[in-house]
Amino acid sequence: MSDATLGVLLLGFAGLGPDQDHQRAMYQPAFEAHPGFEIVDAALDDPAVDVVSVCVEPERRADAVIAALQAGKHVLVDKPLALTAADAAKVATVAAETGKVCLPAHHQRFHPMIAAARGAVAGGKVGLPWNVQADFLVAGGTPSPAGELANFAVYPLDVVLALTGLRARRVFARLGTHWSDGDADDFALLLLTHENGLTSTISVGRTRSLADTRPAGLAVHRYRVSGSHGVLDIDASRPAVVLRRAEASSQVWHGPGTVDRLLDELHAAVTAGRPSSPSAADAVHIAEIVDAARASAASGHPVDLSTEKEGSR
Amino acid sequence: MARHSVIDDTGPLGVVIVGAGFIADHHGAALRASSRARLAGIVDVDAGRASAAATAAGGVPWTTDLAEALARPGVDAAIVCTPNMTHEPIAQQIAAAGKHLLMEKPLTITVPSARAVVEAFDAAGTVVMAAHTHRFYDYARAVDDAIAGGAVGRPVFARLALLGGWIWPDWRAWVLDPAKSGGHALHNGVHLLDLVSWWLRDEPVSVYARGRAQTAAELRIYDYLEMHVEYAGGADAVCEMSRGHRPSTLDRRDVLVAGTDGVLQLPADGWGSTVVTESGTSLLHPQAANGFAVQLDAWLDAIADRAAERAMTPADAVRAVALGVATELSIERGEPVTLDEVMEGVRS
Ligand SMILES: NC(=O)c1ccc[n+]([C@@H]2O[C@H](COP(=O)([O-])OP(=O)(O)OC[C@H]3O[C@@H](n4cnc5c(N)ncnc54)[C@H](O)[C@@H]3O)[C@@H](O)[C@H]2O)c1
Repeated sequence: MSDATLGVLLLGFAGLGPDQDHQRAMYQPAFEAHPGFEIVDAALDDPAVDVVSVCVEPERRADAVIAALQAGKHVLVDKPLALTAADAAKVATVAAETGKVCLPAHHQRFHPMIAAARGAVAGGKVGLPWNVQADFLVAGGTPSPAGELANFAVYPLDVVLALTGLRARRVFARLGTHWSDGDADDFALLLLTHENGLTSTISVGRTRSLADTRPAGLAVHRYRVSGSHGVLDIDASRPAVVLRRAEASSQVWHGPGTVDRLLDELHAAVTAGRPSSPSAADAVHIAEIVDAARASAASGHPVDLSTEKEGSR
Repeated sequence: MARHSVIDDTGPLGVVIVGAGFIADHHGAALRASSRARLAGIVDVDAGRASAAATAAGGVPWTTDLAEALARPGVDAAIVCTPNMTHEPIAQQIAAAGKHLLMEKPLTITVPSARAVVEAFDAAGTVVMAAHTHRFYDYARAVDDAIAGGAVGRPVFARLALLGGWIWPDWRAWVLDPAKSGGHALHNGVHLLDLVSWWLRDEPVSVYARGRAQTAAELRIYDYLEMHVEYAGGADAVCEMSRGHRPSTLDRRDVLVAGTDGVLQLPADGWGSTVVTESGTSLLHPQAANGFAVQLDAWLDAIADRAAERAMTPADAVRAVALGVATELSIERGEPVTLDEVMEGVRS
């Protein structure tokens, strides 16, 4: 990592629903702890600001990111980058025009088990991948009023796309409300058909709280990648030292968390002058899948994604 | 004409095995271990196989003619272990002879024929049960016990994956011919579709499935099946049946059930012990009850007491066939297929 310390402006403290504030809960502490960043209290156009960390309300988020990019700043943007694929595409266009880094906060792909798995799949360990199964079940916490398809599905979708490098072509989805009292979906089942004929099935949801899982913690987080030459089982509840005590059991591990690693990527992309991975284009494709999933769940039929807009990966 | 068999309550039930192939041995072993039933003969169109099996079983009578076997005194029932496409005519013949039947799954390979078989046994007043053996394995019962006990509340999402290597002994076998087996959904897919529906205690309404000929492009069946089932109560299930996963020495089972009050898991590495040797890694299955013996007892219970609740009803057997047919149709169309449609017998 370069010595450069980047000035960070924290823009917005909102999220999906009144209780979600990833800025204070996740990004601010991670920026404070990261040697490559320094939080600055300045206006957007102040030269001391290199990076804007955007957590404004989702409805205004795309516009805020575009304004920051056009002001010549790099951007870390909370997920979802935008509420629709159309808005996400506008952001991606501006990011490409300005050449600035626009990093959507899909931080689960930086999980140590997942990051290693990406390398293994890319290195041919399982041969040609033909199927992925994923479960992303969170227990407890405040249900997202926008639904968990909009909120959580971004994470496992990003991981599946990052693991395989294959875009989705067809989406069949089911939405359900099983645990929360409101109308918003708290369970989504996504059955995707990708390029190369790869298929994937992703379950994502938020159950009621469970013993031994911290509120809003992951109760089940795993991926199975099947390939022509092998199978890779990724259990993202590991690596872990398991602690069993009288009152409760828990797990601990050492080293940077996924958000810390996300900031490593942000810093590396900015200092190297290269696009980040994931990029805004990745967020566009995820938003397309989410839109299609909503349409599929409403109609009961699979929805084909248009193949015209090819995002860069 | 349907005749009602007269079963001597004091002696064991006389059972002929029809089709002396791979799975027949498991039924034969269950019969040998039972005091409630006895092997009364072997039938196979292949005289060599019939006689060899009869000799191995201690010299029971054998024949290539099912009618002859069914007419023999002391024959009350049959366990049929023949290829899937023969199930319908054999079942009809057994119903007409007034005997009881344990039919290897699938009951038949079309919905109308499955219904006709059930009606024939109703008319004959004898018992027909399809051998969905997984219901009788310890792992499946453990999951069912937990759900029945309310451990997860109302189940809303279930995953069941059976991933193993190639189990078919002969690459030219009937199993690989969709016209004979009904396709992999009807051949092996029905195991999972039935089991999950039993666990969820809910009625399936539609199936969306993807299939893949993974092992070889020349396969005419899908050795990998990914089957989504939607249930009337709003639950979802994802079943994966795979003979395309490698290596064959690791046969993996994975169960996940999320309910309104909890989550239940039998992880792939959570059953059996791993054995790591110079020649690779394999799985050592835990000691368990013999599912075929438990299944035999359930069938004998149904025969002994027609009023008792059945472990596997004829309606369950028809439903499994319908789910298998819906799966094959969904793969063909790339669209979900409703149970209503296949229950109307569209593919008859
Ligand atoms: N419950 C389970 O777990 C399980 C497992 C494997 C197979 N099966 C089922 O068992 C049945 C048999 O499968 P298998 O693998 O043993 O097959 P197999 O090919 O090994 O044996 C079939 C036998 O039936 C004989 N046969 C064929 N047509 C016949 C007819 N009309 N009358 C009498 N005999 C006839 C053949 O000569 C052969 O000996 C199938 O329905 C299959 O789906 C169930």
